[in-house]
Amino acid sequence: MDLSVGKFLRLVVILFIVVVIGYLIYSLSEIITVMIISALIAYILDPMASFFERKGLSRTSATTIIFLLIIATIGLIGWLIIPSLIRELFTIHGSISLSDTEQLAASIEKFILELFPFINPSAFDLKVKIAGLIEAVTNESLSILGNVVTLISTFAIIPFIVFFLLRDGRGMKKLFIVYVPNRYFEMTLNFLHKVDQQLGGYLRGQFIEAGVVGVLSVIALGILEVKYFTVIGLFAGLANLIPYVGPVAGAVPAIIISIVEGGQTATVIYIVIAFALIQFIDNMFIQPMVLSRSVDLHPLIIVLAVLIGAQFFGLLGMLLAVPVAGIIKVTSRELYDGVRKFHLLS
Amino acid sequence: MEDDTMWGNIFRRQVKSETSIYTVLSKIPIFKDLTNREIKAIERILHRRTYATGEIIFHEGDPGVGMYIIEEGHVNITLGKQEKLLAVLSNGEFFGEIALLSETPRTATAVSVNQSKMLGFFQSDLFGLLETDPKMGNKIMHRLAQMIADRLRFSNLENQQLKIKIGELEEKLSRKKVS
Repeated sequence: MDLSVGKFLRLVVILFIVVVIGYLIYSLSEIITVMIISALIAYILDPMASFFERKGLSRTSATTIIFLLIIATIGLIGWLIIPSLIRELFTIHGSISLSDTEQLAASIEKFILELFPFINPSAFDLKVKIAGLIEAVTNESLSILGNVVTLISTFAIIPFIVFFLLRDGRGMKKLFIVYVPNRYFEMTLNFLHKVDQQLGGYLRGQFIEAGVVGVLSVIALGILEVKYFTVIGLFAGLANLIPYVGPVAGAVPAIIISIVEGGQTATVIYIVIAFALIQFIDNMFIQPMVLSRSVDLHPLIIVLAVLIGAQFFGLLGMLLAVPVAGIIKVTSRELYDGVRKFHLLS
Repeated sequence: MEDDTMWGNIFRRQVKSETSIYTVLSKIPIFKDLTNREIKAIERILHRRTYATGEIIFHEGDPGVGMYIIEEGHVNITLGKQEKLLAVLSNGEFFGEIALLSETPRTATAVSVNQSKMLGFFQSDLFGLLETDPKMGNKIMHRLAQMIADRLRFSNLENQQLKIKIGELEEKLSRKKVS
């Protein structure tokens, strides 16, 4: 029985460690989100820094140039988009919380009746549901914008962390490797290299894809003269990070706004066609070019990851859930492979 | 001014250590085409490891991930469970260089004979170098390709000689059977 006592104790210790780690993740969720975002940005920008290094610049100069370019781009975007973006968000929030949602529900009911006369829309209790949904969405968007602490951490801490991760990332990796015992040294090097090879393409691909879909959505909605097209278009781009659900989630706000603003059925159909076209372009041209197939996630895993992300980190968690699930998948697969190939358990 | 300051001693030791790594690296065939500045860059990339007496550096059958250069100490290269000794390597010598190109399993086991210092240069470092400094990366790749070509030529020669020997033996055997 001494074996079972030993095993039991080990199990208790492992469980204790898991609970402590879980508690730490939960209570430090905001810092972890900031760290994940910073690490992702630094990782995505890394090839750019390598490009400037190839041109003969030092790593510090390369990082500084990237930061100057980013500041210029953000400045340009800020000058062009942000004032209208904030105005649009506040208008959506103000108009909806002030106006009665009855009018909105009535417009949607009318629209459903026009399309499907055999359905009784009043049975869905749209008024209450829409009011709740819109309150939640706009409040969350505004709380992200309005919270001064979040603003400071987003605009000051993240760039600060990104700068140092980008500049000293390689040194940090080397420093970490120095402390790895000889027995695990080769496996660790191999593991880090493999993970980097697979994740680099995957993460960069994801964000390039989201960017392209966002820009295409803004353009399409702008042409269709949908109100608040910047906010909705950018949201559609970000939502595209979530497979299956994302493309639909991107189109729904545009359709709702169009109906609320008393748009014609034709406009709604045009919006649907525009989003279908964007998805077609995405699937046919963008995805094959930018996405690596090495990180194929099962649909069930994606749904679970999005739910867990939403539960712990809210809207941001939903958007980051799939890339993080990809990171976990590649990391654990390579770790398992490494342990097996290097006979570390024997 | 020999015993002037503590700083003098510290710097003297550092300079000595840097010179010794530089001397070791400049003699390694794959780094032969590199300039002084490039060798300094390689020094920054290399992983310095220390192994105790009898410690295994890598096992036969492990995936090959890179090469080691012996900065100080001795390494036994052994084969199989019987640990048949293939070679004893010492300061300035290197092993495992094929793993820079392909991740095939290690063909032998490397064991540190005494307390030894190694410089590890790995596939990921070489690939990183090809990305950040293609000119330097290409010089190393070119040398590596030359080394492999030389070995292939040597193996081909050996192969030819063995075939000739086998042919002669077969001829002898058939002549014996006929008689």
